[in-house]
Amino acid sequence: MFAYIIRRLVYGVVTLFALSLVVFLLIQFSGGSPLDRLKLNPRMQPVIAQLTELWGLDKPWYEQYFIWLRNFVTPVDVPAQEGLIVVLGKLGIRSWVAIAAAVAAVGYTVALFFVKVKANWWRTFRAFSIILTWLIAFWIIKSRIVFALNWGISFRGDGPVWDNIFGAAGNTFRLGATALLLALIVGIPLGIYQAIKQYSFFDQLGTMLSFITFSTPIFIIGVMLQLILALYMERWTGVKLFYVVGMTSSGYEELGRGLFGLPSLAQLGDVIQHLTLPAISIAAISMAGYSRFQRASMLEVMHSDYLRTAKAKGLPRRTVVVKHALRNALIPIVTLVSLDVAFIIGGAIITESIFGWPGVGRLYIGAIQSIDYPTIMAVVMAIGAGVVVMNIVADILYGVLDPRVRYD
Amino acid sequence: MADPLLNVEDLRTYFSTEEGVVKAVDGVSFKVDAGERRGVVGESGCGKSVTAMSIMRLIEPPAGEIVTGKVEFDGRDLLKLTEADMQQVRGGDIAMIFQDPMTALNPVYTIGDQLIETILLHQDVSKSEARDIAITALDDVQIPHAGKVMEDYPHQFSGGMRQRVMIAMGLSCEPKLLIADEPTTALDVTTQAQIMNLMLELAEQRNTAVLLITHDLGVVAGFCDSIQVMYAGSIVERGTGDEIFHNPQHPYTWGLLGSMTRLDESQQERLNSVRGAPPSLINPPTGCRFGPRCDFAQDICREALPILHQSQEGQKVACHRSDELDLKSIAIGATS
Ligand SMILES: Nc1ncnc2c1ncn2[C@@H]1O[C@H](COP(=O)(O)OP(=O)(O)OP(=O)(O)O)[C@@H](O)[C@H]1O
Ligand code: SF4
Ligand SMILES: [Mg+2]
Repeated sequence: MFAYIIRRLVYGVVTLFALSLVVFLLIQFSGGSPLDRLKLNPRMQPVIAQLTELWGLDKPWYEQYFIWLRNFVTPVDVPAQEGLIVVLGKLGIRSWVAIAAAVAAVGYTVALFFVKVKANWWRTFRAFSIILTWLIAFWIIKSRIVFALNWGISFRGDGPVWDNIFGAAGNTFRLGATALLLALIVGIPLGIYQAIKQYSFFDQLGTMLSFITFSTPIFIIGVMLQLILALYMERWTGVKLFYVVGMTSSGYEELGRGLFGLPSLAQLGDVIQHLTLPAISIAAISMAGYSRFQRASMLEVMHSDYLRTAKAKGLPRRTVVVKHALRNALIPIVTLVSLDVAFIIGGAIITESIFGWPGVGRLYIGAIQSIDYPTIMAVVMAIGAGVVVMNIVADILYGVLDPRVRYD
Repeated sequence: MADPLLNVEDLRTYFSTEEGVVKAVDGVSFKVDAGERRGVVGESGCGKSVTAMSIMRLIEPPAGEIVTGKVEFDGRDLLKLTEADMQQVRGGDIAMIFQDPMTALNPVYTIGDQLIETILLHQDVSKSEARDIAITALDDVQIPHAGKVMEDYPHQFSGGMRQRVMIAMGLSCEPKLLIADEPTTALDVTTQAQIMNLMLELAEQRNTAVLLITHDLGVVAGFCDSIQVMYAGSIVERGTGDEIFHNPQHPYTWGLLGSMTRLDESQQERLNSVRGAPPSLINPPTGCRFGPRCDFAQDICREALPILHQSQEGQKVACHRSDELDLKSIAIGATS
């Protein structure tokens, strides 16, 4: 299992490496120079010289690529002579807490694999507790550690790429994770219910709605939601249910903090009012897809021999469906969802522009328009890493659901 | 004579399809006594499985429906039971095992899990008692290291072993009737013999009645007390093993036996022994359904549907000409 994850991570790094090369080439040969816009302003001459020097913009593309690559993996502000030891010496207490959290997460993961309990609930518990531990660890590390790689300064002049990416990635994560969750908790039960009640009115209706949703472009869904659920809604009923721009209202901080510095209920409500419409826009298509796929997979399982066995044993219909059908029917969905992560991020890129959401998508589109390649590259690499990690998580989940899967 | 264990009367199970109504089982009646081993033979598609599934009430609406009939088991008409009562019968009084052991067990639960589940459903025992019963059941079907394999998943077993697990699961609740739908068709010949011997031994020990469905007459020969031959949704001949094997009265049975006696000859000939293809179950031929394929058909055969009646030889047969024909003396295949 460990060897498997390590191997997958190595493959992941190779994939990301290839990805960076391809995207770099695409940028290089798509014409135009990142400096074109700066050249319009005569006072920018020193900046241009500095950027050219820093990124080797006057050198051949492969040299530029290696300059980018070297910078990309180099921590900021570490003079070569000092080295890692000195860096560690400079860390404050908060950073040490973060490192301790990371070590604890690794330790917990290792420890769990030495506990041998041969039961389904244990496999499930183990997988989810590890995922949870890592999420918490990541959150601590991210918020506590003072660390940055030299991903450069945005060519558009809006600051260090590293900071921009991590700020935007958090926002996109909030949007994407909500959308994914929404698609899962609506799409999957919908498909299951449709399969159980095959050919019923509800099933037919679900099928029709799924097809309509599935064939509607995401930006149309987004704009329709804005019009109907926000603008017309407010105009006709006077109730402002949803916002169409931004992540929070401008008066967010005045709403008051809750206990332990967590958001108050009023703040949470404000967040939900902003989050709902863009999240639905992204989720809608995936939701329709999941429900179709889940319906098909559930139907296949319902007609399987082992379900016939379960019925012939005298199990009540509910047990037949919940215990024997469901788990088998969920197995193929895992693959679909892991592949869908990339699609959700793609959807986020479009949706963020419509809803003025300060996420990676908006950053990305802005960066492409001004050939801001440090930012483009960083966004691509961040998304690529996200997809790679999600695929590994999906493979692990696969093994939890299906005992036939062996990691070797 | 004591009441039979199972008494099926005029069972009709139809499926509605796009092409029309498939009369998969069309007026089947038979009785099985306690402890009796009955073979059901017939070509593919003649309604053997549908008969079994109807007895278990596992026909899925809306496509399939038991239109009329009576399935009396132990004095109760199963077709009139509530679904909850029927669940107690399934797996408890009547157990069923299926053709393909590779797919009959749920791949994501352990063998033990699936056995214990059945036992808890039908017997008033604790979890640990159920576990003991499950291990005994696995021992009974001669699976080595029964205690250990409880934790194994189906994919870790061979086909033969899985069928043993299915038998263990079927017999763990001491059913009065075991329906085995082609239990060995998917297995290789050696394993087939082992599984049949095992079933024979266990059924005899416990006095379990068995309804053995197969299209392989060879499998029936050593196992069953009595045999019924099905053709196109109904029973065309029923009798003891001796009667059916040594003195067939229905031309279809006679043809089937031909396929068996020529087992060593070329495969081609064997398949041709009952010439023609099974009739449509949507628009069956008028008169005798076997008529279009029968070497002895005459005008009367095309006019009236022969009904199952007592023949002079002892067994029941549904053929207009059974009494005048002396099939035993005609070399098989001589007329074709
Ligand atoms: N769900 C269904 N829908 C429509 N027709 C069906 C359905 N199930 C069975 N049938 C039809 O009923 C007929 C009898 O099928 P059955 O499965 O009982 O045959 P069988 O004698 O068991 O054959 P085999 O030896 O192949 O198992 C077949 O012609 C089949 O097409
Ligand atoms: S009734 Fe006629 S057609 Fe049918 S089996 Fe007998 S002889 Fe053949
Ligand atoms: Mg069958």
